[in-house]
This record gives sequence, structure tokens and C-alpha cells, in this order.
Amino acid sequence: MTKKKGANHPWIIVYMLPLAVFFTAFFIFPLVFNVSTSMMKWKGGGEMTWNNFANYGKLFQDDTFLLSMKNNVIWALSQGFIQIPLATIVALILARNPRGWKLMRTIYFLPNVISTVAIAKVWTALYNPQFGVINGILKSLGLGGARNWLGDMSTALPAIILMTVIYIGYFMIIILASIMNIPKELYEAAEIDGATKMQQEFRITIPMIRGTLATAITLAMAYGMRHFETTYLMTGGGPAYSTSTMGIALYLKMDALRYGEASAAGIILILLGTLVIVAIRRALGKSDPMTEAAQ
Amino acid sequence: MKLSKTRRAVFAGLVLLFALPLFVAAQSGEIVLKWPCIWVGKDSKAPAIAEIVAAFNAANAGKIRVEIEPQPDYNAYEQKVRTAIMAGMAPGDIFTLKLNASTKDFYTSKLLLDFNEDLTGDWRKSFDAGAVTQSTIRGKLKTLPFETAILPIWYNGDLMKKAGVAKIPATMDELWAAMDKMKAAGMYPSSQMSGDTNAWTSMIWFSWFAVSNGGPDVWDKPFTDKAFVDAAKTIKRIFESYTTPDAIGAGAGVSGGHFLAGRTVIFSNGPWYAGRADLKATSFFPSITIAPVPSTGGYKNILISRLQANIAAGATADKARHDAIIKFLKFLTNKPNMARLAEVSGGMYAVNSGFVPKDNELQKQFYDMANKGYETAADLEAALGAEATLEFTQQLSALALGKITPEQFCGLVEKKIDR
Amino acid sequence: MSKNRAEKGFNPKAAAFGFMKWFTLLFFLAIAILPFLWLVVNSFRTNLELETAPFGFPARLSFENYRNAAVTADLARLLLNSVIVAAGSVILNLVIASMAGFILSREKFRGRDAIFTIVTAGVLIPIISFMVPYFWMVTTFGLYDKLVSLIFTYAAINIPVSVSLITTFMRAIPKELEEAATIDGCGFNQRFAKIIFPLSRSGLATAGTFCFIYAWNEFVMAMLFTSSVKSRTIQLGIRFFTSQFITDNTGMFAAIVLSIIPSVLVYVILHDKIISGLTAGAVKG
Repeated sequence: MTKKKGANHPWIIVYMLPLAVFFTAFFIFPLVFNVSTSMMKWKGGGEMTWNNFANYGKLFQDDTFLLSMKNNVIWALSQGFIQIPLATIVALILARNPRGWKLMRTIYFLPNVISTVAIAKVWTALYNPQFGVINGILKSLGLGGARNWLGDMSTALPAIILMTVIYIGYFMIIILASIMNIPKELYEAAEIDGATKMQQEFRITIPMIRGTLATAITLAMAYGMRHFETTYLMTGGGPAYSTSTMGIALYLKMDALRYGEASAAGIILILLGTLVIVAIRRALGKSDPMTEAAQ
Repeated sequence: MKLSKTRRAVFAGLVLLFALPLFVAAQSGEIVLKWPCIWVGKDSKAPAIAEIVAAFNAANAGKIRVEIEPQPDYNAYEQKVRTAIMAGMAPGDIFTLKLNASTKDFYTSKLLLDFNEDLTGDWRKSFDAGAVTQSTIRGKLKTLPFETAILPIWYNGDLMKKAGVAKIPATMDELWAAMDKMKAAGMYPSSQMSGDTNAWTSMIWFSWFAVSNGGPDVWDKPFTDKAFVDAAKTIKRIFESYTTPDAIGAGAGVSGGHFLAGRTVIFSNGPWYAGRADLKATSFFPSITIAPVPSTGGYKNILISRLQANIAAGATADKARHDAIIKFLKFLTNKPNMARLAEVSGGMYAVNSGFVPKDNELQKQFYDMANKGYETAADLEAALGAEATLEFTQQLSALALGKITPEQFCGLVEKKIDR
Repeated sequence: MSKNRAEKGFNPKAAAFGFMKWFTLLFFLAIAILPFLWLVVNSFRTNLELETAPFGFPARLSFENYRNAAVTADLARLLLNSVIVAAGSVILNLVIASMAGFILSREKFRGRDAIFTIVTAGVLIPIISFMVPYFWMVTTFGLYDKLVSLIFTYAAINIPVSVSLITTFMRAIPKELEEAATIDGCGFNQRFAKIIFPLSRSGLATAGTFCFIYAWNEFVMAMLFTSSVKSRTIQLGIRFFTSQFITDNTGMFAAIVLSIIPSVLVYVILHDKIISGLTAGAVKG
């Protein structure tokens, strides 16, 4: 894949070489390996034997795996279309340099620095029905406050998805960096034309950072697609698989030494993720940085 | 088609792709045995293990040296053992694993040493015979039983007294009556949980119910058997009326925290929990009594117990290395060393060292219970493996929430049992 | 840089707008800082206090957990290793990604878009499913228990994110700048070194931050590829508080708090110096 036919400059090959070497070693080779093992019976370090698509068949007949796939699509969409708009709003405000914006920018990013283990512990405690702060607030507002958020099949998934808004700082800094690259003259010209700040955001900022937004949405959806750790630590995929994701299914298959099935789950994850992301990019049409660059 | 060939081809291709030089470790006269070991850092066994290894190295200076590779985080350690074996390498010369229906698949690997020829005579006699039988699969003994545990239920005596319950319930009727009294006194009768990957504390209760309904061989029966359906009904009743509101989806930390805080009266766990400093610091610690779960069916006096850690060794064609491994394991499992281990950790072992805990009354109760000569049976996780246990855990929430019937619950778990 | 900040008189629309603005900012500020505060408070408490009342305050201020963290985990050595691994992987990652990003954003050739799409799709891969092949590679090439195994792995794992970010940022650089440089006689390498690389600094800083955070917080590979303290990172030190049966949570929190400090410093330095420095001047349309 690294042969570039029609390349008119030898330097292109030199510049692409490090990427080619590392990407082949750390992505292509393991992927080929996993595609092979996904078609094998392989457990517990014994012999590996081909079983063609038996692992895939088993997964697709498993209701809980199908539920995991559905949850992953929900994750991908919510990350792309809840996280990114929120991150964009915060970035737009911060880009106008309100008082204390540098400190705030650091604090917004803080959750991304703290280990997931600790974050999961805080939020599990916050959602606890007995001594959790969330029920405490609801109770004081007279809005019930006896719900077991993570122990209820209807609220567990929304509760965890909602919690991930603490991570908006990650995308905020991408968007903020992109906004700051916009030449100031554009705003000065708009100001002279009498455009309000709101109009400036919609006429200048958003169009200028469209490529970055598309990249951010893609990244966010990809992270949503392979979402695993926070949910695993908070609910283990329960109750009754209601928060299960393909990443969790994959991990638990490895835990049970079903490596062939785990590989198959990983391949399905990649294929489904590609499908969802391509579909969304198509739907967003012009925002696709690829089509943009081609022009 | 066998895969090893294909796998080798794929790997060989990669080697060619990189053509990087390979490094070969220099060999000296001394045999170095690597032991990736979880009993380090804050683990209660750490000081004794360090002493034993140091003593062995001193006695065999210049000939054999055991090197501990400290492995923090138990789950990650299990992951490393799995990954290494799957990648075709023994994780160390000596390592440990939890033997259950899933990990028994490791017995098909050629990387693990078979102890059958070495475990003979007095060495064999020093091990608990039942534990050795449990560790023997299709004639192979690829792990040695090491740490064991019985899993009874615990009563907070102070709270019982406060609730007006005079004695440890001996029958289920007494248990229900006692739990009603505790409820009336404003307490949560028991710590239950349906979170993590094994619903640990509730899985222990369920195992007692199932075994007393269907006998010690109950795990060989289909999960749709009446013994399991009845056990499911009993655990459902406890979840509905006799536990904390956060039990569904709760992890072991929450379940244990309730008992530590004196919010629940009855708890379930192994002997290691008795060694917790914060438990010992509670005012009710001296009042804790452990007991079997009252029998719900036709079988009585069967203890739920498990192999908590087995020792495995990397297979080697080198006779000297093989002998060095055996020499060390014989040293590790000799009576004084095992007594030392038991003393510092309060754990229970498959090698009888004659040790009885003195200063920890609760740990003494564990030893007394184990020495009563009762029959033992495995818990659900050990008997059925990771996938069935996960299904049990996940569907336990659905059962407790009333989304599925006990019959449906058992049907779902049955589908995940790999026989 | 404040433009028209001073509004004359009371404007209800502006006031409502200001309220919404500050409400949004402070709301996210509160939920972002809450886990950190909780960690700090609990790192001064005992495990019994934590498990019985997760939202209380310490009965007495005790630094025992911090003393334990420093002693139990051989912290200084592990921190040094983490710094080496994180710095090494960020540099390697940025070299690979900026070179590739330059080509992918500024050159036209057949297959370019396909390469970009394939590399970006790497973001989707659940790395955990690559543990077996990675472990095999590391042991086969003799990199087991060497810091370089982690540097290579972390740099590589972050390639998809870095390439997609850096390429996006490089694309936003106006073509005219490059054309002018070419007319001035800049060659291929100078175009990269003098124009594109410096002008995409904010993208590089962002990608570098992500790579750093990943390398600093990664645990699974660090556990898998190392066996002795000479090559272990701070995350393994933190896990020394998790033993087989009992987890010393509050002790672990103290170690986590200590381990967060360097990442925050790196973040502040990268962003305040590089990005802010950039916006202060530099860009000419």
C-alpha cells in the first residue's frame, strides 16, 4: 500500500517511509493476524484450527452481542453529536478570551489527565442511590431521588453517556487551536461591516474550522465506537448487558480465553465503525475534509 | 488445517519485513528462574515470599537464583499470563493462575510443565489430596494447588443482638425470620451485588443454595435443573427484600463497604478479608461469626471452597533447569515455609503445615471450619468458567429486577456453559 | 485583544447572553474539576472512611498516604522512566506524523486519499485486541523489558490521531505562502522545515499533547512489556496499591495525584507557550 505510483518527487517516498514502517508493523500486521485468528478456533494456548466463519456466526446469534453493537452505534452518535457541539460552544467562548480563560482551559482538560480508574470511582459514587450526590440534589429539589441510576436497565446507559461530557476538554483544545489559527483580519473586517459577534461566529469561525470539526466528529465517533474502559469500570456492561459494548464483549472473550471469538468481535467492531463513520461523513457531505482537499 | 504453520508463516514474514537483529541472552553457569509474582508490594503474602526466596537463593548461591518480577494489579497479571501463553511463550519459569473451567484450557498448552512425574512420595503426601485431584485434568497435573479458600457467610454479632436475633440461623426458616427482624430494626439484612464480572458475594450465596439443593456434583447437571431454578428463586427473594437498594449492579467494593460500615448484617467472603486492617479496626470485629449458609435442599454439611491460586512452571527440555524449578517449589512448599506464609497472610493453603491462627479470632474460625472434615464443593465461577459466570452476573440483575423468571434465568446461563 | 468590550448602559439581551455564557463555562468547569477535588480530598482519608462515606471530609489531615506512595512505589525512578517514555514517544510520533502530514496535505499523487483514509481508520481499532501480536513482536525483537518497546508502541498507536489532526491543520495553511516560498527558491525540504512545520505548530502541540497523555497514562502495554523497575512507568507504581484481594484506594489516589502533576505541567507549557505564542503574532494572511 505504500507504493505511490505517479509520485513525481522522490522525497515523497522518503517522507512517507517512517509512517509506512510503523503503520505496517503496529496496525497492518496485527490486523492480518487478527483476521486470521478470527476464523480459527483458538483458546487457552492449545492448537489453532480453522473454523471459517463459526466465530462470526456465534457472535451474530448472540442477542447480547447484537445489543452491544446497537449500544456502540448509540455511543458513536452521542460522542459525535453531543460532545462536539458542546466542545465547540465552549471553545467559541474561550476563543474570545474571557477573564481567566487560560486557567479554565487547563481545568477543562484535567479529566483527560486523570486515570479512568479514579474517574469511574467518583462517578459510580455520584450515581449511588444511597449516598450519591446526584440523588441528594434531586431529593432536595423534590424530584424523587431514590433511583439506582447504574443499576436500572433503562437509565444505566444514558447515565454513563451523560457522564462523558466531562471529557469535552479533549475536543475543545483541538477546536480552540484551530480557531486561533484564523487570521484576525477577518474579524476586524466583519466588525467594520457591523456584524455582531454571533454573526461573526457563524459567518467566519464555523466555516473556517469546518475541516477541524469534521476531523473532531470522526475522532469522537471512533472513540465512541471502541468505547470500553469507563463503562467496564462502572458497570462491567450490566445490568443485564444494558451497557455492554463490543469493546467489553471483546475484553470478556479474552478474559474467558476465547481468543478466536475475541478477534472476530474486534473485526466486527472495525467494520461497523467504518460503516457508521463513512455514512455520517456522506450525510454531512461537504464537511468531509477529503472532498474539500480534492478541490 | 493446523494453524501453527500459518501462524509461523505470518510471523516469519514479519521478521523478514524488518530484518532486525535478534538478541540472544548470554548464558552463565547460574540458573536464573524468573517468577512474575503478584505477591509483592502491599500484598499480605509479600514479606513471607520475599524471605523464602532470599533464603533459597542464599542456600543455592552460584547455582540457582530465583528472581521475582513484581507484578502489580491482579487482573493485569492474569492478562499478562494469558497474553504470553497465547503468544507462544511461558510468562515465566514459575507463575501462578486461578484454576477454573476457563483456565483449564491452559492444560492443552505445551508451554506448561506437567508435575505428575515430580510430585511423588512425601512431597505428594504433603498436599491436600482433594486439591491435587481437582488440579488434575485428563491425567495431567500442569499446576500445583497452592492457595485455597472456603467461602462461608459472615454475621455481624453486634447488629444481630441489636435486632434481637439470638443465634446463628441453622435452617432457612430461621434465616428468613432473622432477616425479617433485622429489617424491622431498620437494618439491611445482607450484602448482595450483581456487578463486576462474577457478582462475587451473591455468587457465593447462590453456590451454597445450588449445592445444598443438588449435591456436590450439581455443577455437572444442566443449569435448567430444579436445583438451580430453586436456588435462583431463593436469591431473587433475597435481592427483592433483604438487601441494600444499590445491590443491583453493585461491585465488590460497595458490597464489602456496606458490611464494613455496619449497614448490613450478613456478608460473604473468603479468609483474606478477615486480614483487612480496616475490618479489624471496626468495633464489631470481635463479634463476627462465620457459618455455612443454611441448607435449602436435601444436602447438608457441604462447604463451598475453591482453589484460589495454583502454581505453574514453564516446561523446559533442559534437565538442570527442570530440576532447579522442582527444587525451588519443594522448598517453597515445605512445612515451615507454608506455616510462615499462613501466619503472615492468614490465607489457607493446599499444603497442610499444621498452622493455626492465634491472634486473629476470625481467621481461626476459618481454619476450624475447614478442619471439620466436611465434604467440599466448588463455587459457580470455579466450576463453570468465565463465560457462564458472566452470564450469571448479568442475568442476575435482570432476575432481581423481575425482567426474567428464574426458569428463564437458568435457561440463559445454561446456553453459555461450555461442556 | 478585547474588542468593544465596554458596553454602555444596561442591555437585557447582552445580560442574558452573558449569563448563559458564564453559566456554560462554570457548569463545565465544575464537573471537570470535581473528580480531581474528590481525588485530592480522599487521598487524605483512610480506606474505611472512603468505603463507608465516599463524599465526606477527612477526620484528620494525614499525609500518610503520600508517604506510603513515595516509599511503596519507588516513585522517583518510575517518574523518570515515564518522562523518558512520554518524551520519546511524543518526539517519534510527531516526526512520523508531521512528515506524513506534510505529504498528505500538500502533495498530490494517486492513492493519497486512500492512504489517509486507511491511516485515519486506525483510530477505530481496539488496541486491546492487538496485545498478542504486540507481545510477540516485542519479545521476538528482543525489546522485552526495555523502555524503547514502550516508546515505539506508544508513538505508533498514536499515529492515526496525530496524522489526521496534523494533516487537517496543515491543509488550513494558505497555499499562497508556499507558492511564494517556492518562487523565492525554497526546495522541498525547506518548504517543510521553514513554512509548513512552523505554521502548523498549534496542530503539532495538540497532537503532541494527546500522545503525551496517552503515554503517561497507559497501563496495559506497560505491564505487558516490562518486568523490572528499570523499565517501568509511573502507572505501574500506582497499581502497586491493588493487590490480589484488597485495594488500597486512598493510597492509590495519593499516587495518582502525584502522577497528574507532570501531565498538567506539560499541558500548560505546550499550550501557553506554543499555541498562545503563535496567536500573539506570526499569522499573516
